Amino acid sequence: MEFWKDEKEPISAFVKLFENSMKDEELMGGLKKVNQLIWFDYTQDGPNCSFWVDCRGGDVKVGAGKPDGDPDLTMSLSADDAHRSWSNKLNPVMAITRKKIKVKGSATGLLKLAPKLKKVAVIYENTLKEMGMEDKILK
Amino acid sequence: MNGNTGKIITVQLTSGDLVIAELPEEYYQKYIGGSGLAARYFWEHADFDADPLSPEAMLIFMNGPFSGLKLSGASRNCIAGRSPLTGIWGDSSCGGYFAPELRYAGYDGIVIAGRAEKPSLIFIEDERVSIVDAAEYWGKGIEEVNRSLKEKHGKDYRTVLIGPAGEAGVKYANIINEGHHAFGRTGFGAVMGSKNLKGIVIHASKKEMKLADPKRYEELRKELNSKIKEALASTVLHENGTAANLEGGVYNGDVPIKNWTSNFWEEMADALTGGTLTDTYLTRTAACAYCGVACKRVVEVKEGPFAIPEGPGPEYETIVSFGSLLGSMDLAACCKAGRVCNDIGIDTITAGGTIAWAMEAWERGDLTEEDTDGVSLDWGDMATVIDVVLPKIARREGKLGTLLSEGSRSAADAIGKNSRAYTVQSKGLEAPMHDPRGGGHGLALTYAMSARGACHVADPMLFMEMGACFYPEIGFEYELEPMTDEYKPETAVISIQIGALENSACFCQFADREVTIPEWVELFNTVAGYGWDQDDMMRAGRRVFYLKRLLNYRLGCTAQDDDLTPRMLEPARDGEPEGVEINFSGMKEKFYQLMQMDPEKGIPVKTVLEEFDMGDEAKVIW
Repeated sequence: MEFWKDEKEPISAFVKLFENSMKDEELMGGLKKVNQLIWFDYTQDGPNCSFWVDCRGGDVKVGAGKPDGDPDLTMSLSADDAHRSWSNKLNPVMAITRKKIKVKGSATGLLKLAPKLKKVAVIYENTLKEMGMEDKILK
Repeated sequence: MNGNTGKIITVQLTSGDLVIAELPEEYYQKYIGGSGLAARYFWEHADFDADPLSPEAMLIFMNGPFSGLKLSGASRNCIAGRSPLTGIWGDSSCGGYFAPELRYAGYDGIVIAGRAEKPSLIFIEDERVSIVDAAEYWGKGIEEVNRSLKEKHGKDYRTVLIGPAGEAGVKYANIINEGHHAFGRTGFGAVMGSKNLKGIVIHASKKEMKLADPKRYEELRKELNSKIKEALASTVLHENGTAANLEGGVYNGDVPIKNWTSNFWEEMADALTGGTLTDTYLTRTAACAYCGVACKRVVEVKEGPFAIPEGPGPEYETIVSFGSLLGSMDLAACCKAGRVCNDIGIDTITAGGTIAWAMEAWERGDLTEEDTDGVSLDWGDMATVIDVVLPKIARREGKLGTLLSEGSRSAADAIGKNSRAYTVQSKGLEAPMHDPRGGGHGLALTYAMSARGACHVADPMLFMEMGACFYPEIGFEYELEPMTDEYKPETAVISIQIGALENSACFCQFADREVTIPEWVELFNTVAGYGWDQDDMMRAGRRVFYLKRLLNYRLGCTAQDDDLTPRMLEPARDGEPEGVEINFSGMKEKFYQLMQMDPEKGIPVKTVLEEFDMGDEAKVIW
């Protein structure tokens, strides 16, 4: 991995990113509309390198690892590309076209969040600072 | 001949002569089919001085080589000729069920000329072709006529019909297959109307096709159908239709608002996006023939001023044309406007674009009650648009109906007051609902270079700029930044070749995004047996682009017509692209150099025509 020292590091950052995003009213509202169980699968970088976001039932929860139930949507990519993506430095359409991101399941809910990626990137940068990971911030 | 039948029906409506003609295989190899083959036929047979609405004008329906071959996205047909809206080359592609039926009946195309003495239908049953009386259908809406014809002949009899707008000569009248699939653009419904031709009814009883390598084609077909159906874009299109990403487009500044005076309207994004249509009015999905994507919407609006019974729902273009473009975020109104336009038979893009221009003209005081028969044209007043303006346009009724039935460029020229500056069109064709200032600057270039006028489906530049294309075999493996001119002329050279292939093969741009360049080559070879390599195929694409340039030159176009209006090029006033300028002239100059086109005439130079085996065409022009 180019940006991470081990498989735990990215997951801790991404889970924290979602916890911080959920404090933002607009993003929380957007996540609720997704109404899916999503598994972000980075296991190509380690068997435990993944996390889930459960947006079903009018609430949003996030956790490390594979979710208990079958995900409605699985997004498989590398932890490095995930870092680029949350930093808004990766064109998700292009990444999907070039098979850098593989998607299984319905992504229509995620389309609702795509316009918010810029805002997510700001929160991600603050999250990295909060976690003492300033060196990972992409300029 | 493999794949294609090699036969077309020529119909002379004045005399009633029906002739089955054969086209040389060389034409297919050089110009493929669809709009390319139609362009070649037009080049050879058209009267270039004929008014598009005169009996001498020619109307060409042409299939692509994959029609009827049960391949997702390949059931489109092309109509072509001289456009009554723009006065230059026009073509328009339509999905649905007409193309396979025509192929099964044994024909690649239909060429129609002359003018019938009385309202008529062309009736095709397998090889048998006849002209029959259509007086009982004249003056009626497309929905009713389509239903009547199916009740009379059977639901497997496929129809292409015009509505009252085509009969009245509205310059952007369309032609509708099966009551809702549209040959939308450039006004060929008016050409049919001018010929007293209400429509075509077609039925074929067999599905025999001769292919060069049927075994390998069948394997390839299954691979591609599976790949196309499972692609992420396809699942999104299936679930939420062609407006699935409207919301994302709003945030990029791609979705036009109030005649392109704004690039951002946050509340509208959620109100009009495809997911909202699914949640509110969708009753089921539908598909073109053999397509696994099934992006079509069937909707019902149960109550309110825009209530409509269950039936075909709006595409992205219709939603924006009758939504944000007119200052409205009423999705029910979009559904109803689309239904009305389909029934009266007008193109929703040009209709919306023309009405949007009129609303701005009204706001500015350039249009007054005297011009509009007392009708107020206020932003967002969809009841007036649907109940008053559209019916007036369809009948060319009064000053307002007559003015707006000509399209925005002619309407602006009629009232003057520098109002052409805020039309949104190129070569007289209203732009589709993607604003290059937010959608991508390359789109500005390809809008202007498109032979038929501003068009987002002449080539895949829109998809290339958003990152949805990947063609490493032909050099497109780089990332584009939409809101710059960087690499856009170079990309446009690739894009116009791919676009020519798509529109000549009559392959849907949503489905064929999944088809790689080697797969494209193999499709042509297994179906038609051309023995092409990649270079042969790309050369055919470029040849088609060049031929349409030559046609336009013969119809009076020069380089100065490859332009956009001031409104389209002024810096955006808000949203993501606020203040950004498009380097249009720079991109155009570079594109001309790369394509070896004469900077005055706007056509390829003689040597490049000869290089592309177009020596005969070069002799006519140079």
